[in-house]
Amino acid sequence: TLNTDYPWILNHDHSKQREIADWLTLEIKDFVAYISPSQEEIRVRNSTISKIRNAVKDLWPDADLHVFGSFATDLYLPGSDIDCVINSSSGDKENRNCLYSLASFLKRRKLATQVEVISKARVPIIKFVEPISQIHIDISFERVNGLEAARVIRGWLKETPGLRELVLIVKQFLAARRLNMVHTGGLGGFSIICLVYAFLQLHPRVISSDIDSMENLGILLIDFFELYGKNFGYDHVAISVTDSGARYLSKELYGSLQNPRTSFALAIQDPGDKDNNISRGSFNIRDIKKAFAGAFDLLTNRCFELDAATFKDRVGKSILGNVIKYRGKQR
Amino acid sequence: QCPHKWKRVKCVHCNSKNHSRDRCPSIWRSYYLLDSNVRRVLPVHKIFCYNCGGKGHFGDDCWEYRSSRVPNEDGSAFSGENLPQELK
Ligand SMILES: [Zn+2]
Ligand SMILES: [Zn+2]
Repeated sequence: TLNTDYPWILNHDHSKQREIADWLTLEIKDFVAYISPSQEEIRVRNSTISKIRNAVKDLWPDADLHVFGSFATDLYLPGSDIDCVINSSSGDKENRNCLYSLASFLKRRKLATQVEVISKARVPIIKFVEPISQIHIDISFERVNGLEAARVIRGWLKETPGLRELVLIVKQFLAARRLNMVHTGGLGGFSIICLVYAFLQLHPRVISSDIDSMENLGILLIDFFELYGKNFGYDHVAISVTDSGARYLSKELYGSLQNPRTSFALAIQDPGDKDNNISRGSFNIRDIKKAFAGAFDLLTNRCFELDAATFKDRVGKSILGNVIKYRGKQR
Repeated sequence: QCPHKWKRVKCVHCNSKNHSRDRCPSIWRSYYLLDSNVRRVLPVHKIFCYNCGGKGHFGDDCWEYRSSRVPNEDGSAFSGENLPQELK
């Protein structure tokens, strides 16, 4: 009865739970624990970053390297790239010569293989693989907005129970369907976090302090897919997130957030610039909405099916398995 | 052809005519509640509508025409019905 497709359920059987929603909550916690990095992985990642950081400082004494993105907020899936930024007091490192001299310096020190310098993009970067850890690393130059976003997200995570767990599940769900890459119209990491954060901040049971989100992750996940897959008015509603919480806005009153080509678009107001829509790149919102609705149907159908099954037939079953389709390495 | 076609099934759990008892949302829509000894106040300033973006009501209870083309027959989590009993 061991199902190796869903490794997080091994030795974690919850089939005897009376409420299906409680079973799902426990399975979400198991999955999150399963994909979270081990102490050894954290150690390897930190030592890799500090080696590169030291090299950068040797090359440019006025510069420093910081991680941002999912690694800075602990919201990454196994095998994700690490996003870093180099900032310097002279502020002159974002030019082609600097990019190439850093690339060859890292190669000489045997800290980088498979190096790509992308100097002509809107955000110039160096991509490479650190040869010992095999970690993929992206370095960008002279920007602070990524660091600022990571600071805001860490604040949200601290004060919003359940945010981390739901974000990781939704990320894995979208990654399995290739709907998580902005350059193909998918949802980027920051947009996913904003959707989940706004969902939790506006949920009737959460705002009335009626539930502990951590004990209700199962029903909250279903409610999330229901909201953004079936009900949310993408044509008329924009999402606003600030330090003091989340709210909806009528797009008619905030025309600058409206996509000029189609009204059916996700709009998330940039906390730092009220006229900027941070999710304007996610043009494939139609497929994303459909995928969320499909997740709602899959999950609720599975609940009906397992609710009707005998306890004997439930043993070793997964509720989440077909929804998140995790095909990662064994841990 | 179906001899039972005329018969409207009512869900025995919630009396809805939209689904049968084995597909009742109450099977999965259950919250594990905190102790209700605390007196609660309704945070009206945190209530927003997923349908029109307006303040003070939930999307299920919006009086504007429905923006999403997916039907919402059984009601969702974002409804005044989903507030704790004493706050409805
Ligand atoms: Zn029912
Ligand atoms: Zn409304």
